[in-house]
Amino acid sequence: MTLIVRSESPSTDRSTVWLEGRLDAATFAAFDEALHDITPLVDNGGTLVVDLSGLEYISSAGLRSLAQLRKQIHDRDGRTLLLNPQPQVKKVFDIVKAVPVAEVFTNVAELDQYLDHMQRQITAPGS
Amino acid sequence: MQLRIPNRLEDVFLALDRAEGTLDRADVDSSCRADVRLVLEELLVNTVRHGYPDGRDGSIEITLRIEADVVHLELRDDAMPFDPLQHEPPDLPGDIARRDIGGLGLHLARSIASDFHYARDAHGNRVVIRFDPSDEPAT
Repeated sequence: MTLIVRSESPSTDRSTVWLEGRLDAATFAAFDEALHDITPLVDNGGTLVVDLSGLEYISSAGLRSLAQLRKQIHDRDGRTLLLNPQPQVKKVFDIVKAVPVAEVFTNVAELDQYLDHMQRQITAPGS
Repeated sequence: MQLRIPNRLEDVFLALDRAEGTLDRADVDSSCRADVRLVLEELLVNTVRHGYPDGRDGSIEITLRIEADVVHLELRDDAMPFDPLQHEPPDLPGDIARRDIGGLGLHLARSIASDFHYARDAHGNRVVIRFDPSDEPAT
């Protein structure tokens, strides 16, 4: 199985990327290539949601690519949130403490709640 | 399963698929299958990338044996001497996007294996690894 990357940008402040298959030393180059199209989707202050529901496997090569993506979005003043990592991916994240736990969500409702909360903080500072 | 492959990345991935097929047919559970695949990928990719700096052709032998629920893996290669256990574990800052960290793959491999031995003899490097699903740490 190879890696499939799909992306969608329903609003200017939020885009979603779906990863399917394996992100490893055989597929990371294709993913890095796809990043060129993904990072411009996120405007300043925007959010990129990386949906990992269909990603069945990640290795250190994949972790590096994912880190690269997060860094590029961060450099654009955007934010990367990871959605629904599956058991193998979660285990690898846990072992290397790959991402801040606050940026990983088990479902869309949890993620929406977080973004709503962030939005309220921006529109009503100090409240 | 016993397999000898040349030191090329495309052969590493063919070997990973063969290994996974072998584990699948032996009814090894999916979590242990993924563990074996990950450890194999990290170690073999490392050997192919760094083990032959002079660019010579090399050969890697992979032996997989399944006994009850326990998977035994043995890797032998004719690369330059390399003991994966002598590698310092990386400093993990809790966010790998902040800086590039070397040694992640070896750290993963050592963390996931239940048992990990290295030896070097006249033939080259030899790594013996055991995967025991009952050793799975509580999370």
